[in-house]
Amino acid sequence: MSDADIKDAVENEYVEDGSNKLLVKCKFCGSKILERKSGKFVRKEIDLPLMEQDKRVEAKVQYEKIYQFFFVENMYTFENIGFTHTIDNCKYLSCADCDAGPVGYYDMDTKHSYVALSRVKHE
Amino acid sequence: MAKTYDYLFKLLLIGDSGVGKTSILFRFSEDAFNISFISTIGIDFKIRTIDLDGKKVKLQIWDTAGQERFRTITTAYYRGSMGIMLVYDVTNEKSFENIKNWIRNIEENASADVEKMILGNKCDLDSKRQVSKERGEQLAVEYQIKFVETSAKDSLNVEYAFYTLARDIKAKMEKKQEASNPPGARGGTHQLKSNDQQRKPPSWLSRCSIL
Ligand SMILES: Nc1nc2c(ncn2[C@@H]2O[C@H](COP(=O)(O)OP(=O)(O)O)[C@@H](O)[C@H]2O)c(=O)[nH]1
Ligand SMILES: [Mg+2]
Ligand SMILES: [Zn+2]
Repeated sequence: MSDADIKDAVENEYVEDGSNKLLVKCKFCGSKILERKSGKFVRKEIDLPLMEQDKRVEAKVQYEKIYQFFFVENMYTFENIGFTHTIDNCKYLSCADCDAGPVGYYDMDTKHSYVALSRVKHE
Repeated sequence: MAKTYDYLFKLLLIGDSGVGKTSILFRFSEDAFNISFISTIGIDFKIRTIDLDGKKVKLQIWDTAGQERFRTITTAYYRGSMGIMLVYDVTNEKSFENIKNWIRNIEENASADVEKMILGNKCDLDSKRQVSKERGEQLAVEYQIKFVETSAKDSLNVEYAFYTLARDIKAKMEKKQEASNPPGARGGTHQLKSNDQQRKPPSWLSRCSIL
């Protein structure tokens, strides 16, 4: 399977009519992040810091490229979510119950949030 | 697409530095080799959705970040907040005495009808205790504010405290709405609809961008 096929498979499973088909939950503790149909699926290439940072690699944040997101226009659409302090005009999103993250990010200019499909559980 | 809710309450955690405000909001513990990216930056606020008597209530809970001196917490900081958790540390006498100063600061700067609650945090540290539970209760009676001892470390009473504060704010709002809009007087719009709030964001939202 090519990369493109894998992407399509993910989208078929989790996206319906352009939004999240299933509940979006924290991968670690199951805390509910988004109700069904409350995030709009978007493709976007973003470097997101890894959830676990290796302490031994000093003073360097490790990133990973992410391509698939649920877009949330209004922050109060979230059921449960944490917002970090601002860096580079952006806040990172984390689980409100166990603090795992980033599960996505929030743009300070547009006030829009993006949840990474690969960083959450779909149920 | 946007989901509706019945109420949105902005809540603040206030109190001396070191009493456990950040710990009440943030629970992550790290292991020896990995550090969570989130814990290095810290949480500014959280959104939580709770059910209160069948109503969907969104809580937006803010930490106080490095602004713990009374002087630096002014009107702008309190703007739009409907509830305040006053936190002291049961192992720190000074933090308890300062609750009175915090209350005065709130009276001078926050909206007059902001709902308050006092939290005596770190109640798991009984051997180091300097402030008895009875003194906490007395202070609360004196100011007619609700009180509970909490442990952010053991997650004891933290959720209870937020539910209690939220329930009190909701009760106050419903009372106010009834008074300003008695049944039968005008239409029956006794409740702020989320759609209205989404079209016209409350002014304190702009605070996001100055942080
Ligand atoms: N034992 C115990 N320690 C706590 C508790 N809450 C906070 N702490 C510790 O108290 C210190 C200060 O906490 P912090 O949340 O940073 O306080 P803040 O300055 O008010 O934000 C940290 O070392 C916490 O681990 C608690 O409930 N029990
Ligand atoms: Mg703090
Ligand atoms: Zn979680």
